Amino acid sequence: MIVGATITFQVEVLSILIISAIILGLILAVNRAVKKADPLDQPKGILLLAVIYVRMMSGLAKDNMGNIVGRNYAPYLGILALYLALANLSGLFGMPAPTANFSVTLTLALITFIMIQRMSIKSIGFFGYIRSFFEPHPLFFLMNFFGKVAPLISMSIRLFGNITSGTIIMVLFYAFTGWVAALVPIIGVIDFVGPIVAPVLHFYFDVFVGLIQMYIFISLTSVFIGNEYSQPE
Amino acid sequence: MELARGLVAIGAGLAVLTGMMTGLGQGYAAAKAVEAVGRNPEAESKIRSMLILGAAIAETAAIYGMLIAFVLIFLFN
Repeated sequence: MIVGATITFQVEVLSILIISAIILGLILAVNRAVKKADPLDQPKGILLLAVIYVRMMSGLAKDNMGNIVGRNYAPYLGILALYLALANLSGLFGMPAPTANFSVTLTLALITFIMIQRMSIKSIGFFGYIRSFFEPHPLFFLMNFFGKVAPLISMSIRLFGNITSGTIIMVLFYAFTGWVAALVPIIGVIDFVGPIVAPVLHFYFDVFVGLIQMYIFISLTSVFIGNEYSQPE
Repeated sequence: MELARGLVAIGAGLAVLTGMMTGLGQGYAAAKAVEAVGRNPEAESKIRSMLILGAAIAETAAIYGMLIAFVLIFLFN
């Protein structure tokens, strides 16, 4: 253990646990529905949603990574999309969004990064991978190195920055409306301006930006992995 | 001391200005993608993934600007 290190409890841990519990409940519910369903029947209710979702995700994976690789990575993309959507939307329910914490987004980007490198090694071989750092000339090592690491930095900071800036803007906005409301004498003790103007901003910063970033994260993951696969020679 | 903090804030604000040109570039890319989809709508999914990838790479500059602003604010303040 590192001397002098202190353990701080971060509130995002709680929302991660809640989101994980929700996802687990969803999966168990779908599992029960699948087991009970009649394969010759039309799917209904939660089963229909699950079928549409799985088809959408495997379609996206196959579009970007080809049929064979796409099938292997579709489950990861699916659970990542579900997790990111819930995490980005959790700001709406008063929970601190886990993706506003850099540790979370760095972990997610690290998983993608390792998958990209693994796919690269798998398609061009270990020595080919080492050699790709020194192409077209050994002097290019530094450039190639940063080129390989760039997705890790840019993906993690993109998600973190978008969600964090939304959170900060909402906090500033509530502080501002609180100040405006305080100008009114008696009822000014409660922030009555905020709830009137806030829903539009919440829609943009939580719902729109959150879902767009979710889509960008999963499609970047699939596109980067697919790029490594499509150049085996 | 006060002057240094103010300069750090100005520097952070300047770093975020990288988003300006990124906005121009991404808007241009999106306009071209709309044109491309209008010309041949059957290639929509391919164009969408290319647009996302291109916009994401163009956005990297703005993200680095934001990173520098964060570093300035949280490390030098």
